[in-house]
Amino acid sequence: MSRARSLKDKLFVFAVAAGFLLAVAPLFHLAVVVFERGIPALVESGLGFFTDGPPSPLSTEVGGIAPAISGSLILLALSLPIVVLIALFASLLTLEFPGNPVSKAVDVAARSFASVPTIVVSMAVYSLVVVPAGRFSALAGAVALVMVSLPYAYTSFSTALRSIPSTYREAAYFIAMKRWTALIRVVIPMAKKQMASGVLMTMARIVGETAAIMFVVGRFRAGIQVLPDQPVDAIPLLIFDYALAPYPVFHKVAWGAALVLLLSYAAVFVATKMLVREVKL
Amino acid sequence: MHAVELEDVHVHVGGQHIIRGVTLNVPCNSVYVLMGPSGSGKTTLLRVINRLIDMVDGARVSGHVRVLGIDALKADPYALRRRVGMVSQIPNPFPHMTIYDNVAVAARINGVARGKREEGEVVEWALKKAMIWDEVKDRLHEHPHVLSGGQKQRLCLARALAMKAKVLLFDEPTANIDPVNARKLEGAISSLKDDATVIMVTHSPHQAARVADRVALIYEGRVLEEGAAKEVFLNPKDEFTVKFMRGEI
Repeated sequence: MSRARSLKDKLFVFAVAAGFLLAVAPLFHLAVVVFERGIPALVESGLGFFTDGPPSPLSTEVGGIAPAISGSLILLALSLPIVVLIALFASLLTLEFPGNPVSKAVDVAARSFASVPTIVVSMAVYSLVVVPAGRFSALAGAVALVMVSLPYAYTSFSTALRSIPSTYREAAYFIAMKRWTALIRVVIPMAKKQMASGVLMTMARIVGETAAIMFVVGRFRAGIQVLPDQPVDAIPLLIFDYALAPYPVFHKVAWGAALVLLLSYAAVFVATKMLVREVKL
Repeated sequence: MHAVELEDVHVHVGGQHIIRGVTLNVPCNSVYVLMGPSGSGKTTLLRVINRLIDMVDGARVSGHVRVLGIDALKADPYALRRRVGMVSQIPNPFPHMTIYDNVAVAARINGVARGKREEGEVVEWALKKAMIWDEVKDRLHEHPHVLSGGQKQRLCLARALAMKAKVLLFDEPTANIDPVNARKLEGAISSLKDDATVIMVTHSPHQAARVADRVALIYEGRVLEEGAAKEVFLNPKDEFTVKFMRGEI
């Protein structure tokens, strides 16, 4: 290799590396700050951070975020299965019957819904669910979360399924597999890694969503709520409220809650990476 | 007795007339080769026989197609495909399944084997028939990404054989593999006619001469010449056939 080409090569590698570092530096900084400020809350409160209720404004103890954790888990349990099922069915429909009017409508609806501001969804669910029911509830929150996360799940499932070369589907037809059998036994297992990432992204979206549930879940922080028709709290809502509050102890709890959110996402991410193997073509 | 009979078959896709009145009779237990230059409609004809043409948006087929005595255009396509296996140009074993499962799945789906023991016997028989048994017998539970392109293609052949189909379609099966593996595959294909009728597409007259009992030369959706392989290769009647065999087209 000539000197000029070698120099150009090194320059290009340096530029790409610098660009990459520039892109990840803010993320890295964010993670470091969350750890740095979140750890004191967790250390001070210990396991109590996961089992106790939040502190009062003038409390000297940090307390915990148990109502928010249970609320987030209830919201996740209510909305994730519905989102995954509908998104999977819709993406299979549009994959198998791309020319069908229903498929086209589903595709357009999913794209349009992705751009609706989540606060608008929250207002709509407030009017359509909370007001007629006469109460805030986890169910209303789940409806809002389904609406905001469905387009993301649909898009990621569709991308995953379309990434499988059609030659494998044909191979399934060659051995007399029926259409749905080919999807279930060949296409979906081949796309499982990407689809697991899609589920993970949807989970992150549901657990981290704030605006969509702002007007509908009721922010119940007086204890652990398990019934879906009752008001609940959620971790991002607690972070939002406590970050805006003028009390130092609330700020401490908010940082601790942010760390819990970050760690839970990282744990699910690592577990998925370890459990779901990539299919080598 | 004919395994496959095509009578005045026309295929339109969108506005294009791809197959223009093809009439062919494929004798049972023979190797029948459809040859012709690329884009002449050979693959489309195969897809008419196993009804994969149904998957092509806007495709319309007319004429009569009988496969093993069944009216293929009116039959349930999945029932038809149980009797008509296919191997495509690109080796496409299922990458998420083991080598064993790639073959066993075809037997399971089509109810060929009852129980694990019988399934194992079918898998071994199909892999031996596809001339790949010796190369994979010690790694049946590995995934096919460890195999070479030619081995993958022979695995696909074993998968098709495990269905115990009576008609086997091959769409340029050696197009993407090396000459050594191509010869092995040709050997395997030639040995299949005791159990099944083979219809193979190729654009190589040399390959057709090596494996065919009968050949048909297809060009622009029409059959230009058809007959016993020896007759067509030694005494071609059509000027186009001569040019095709000389490699001028």
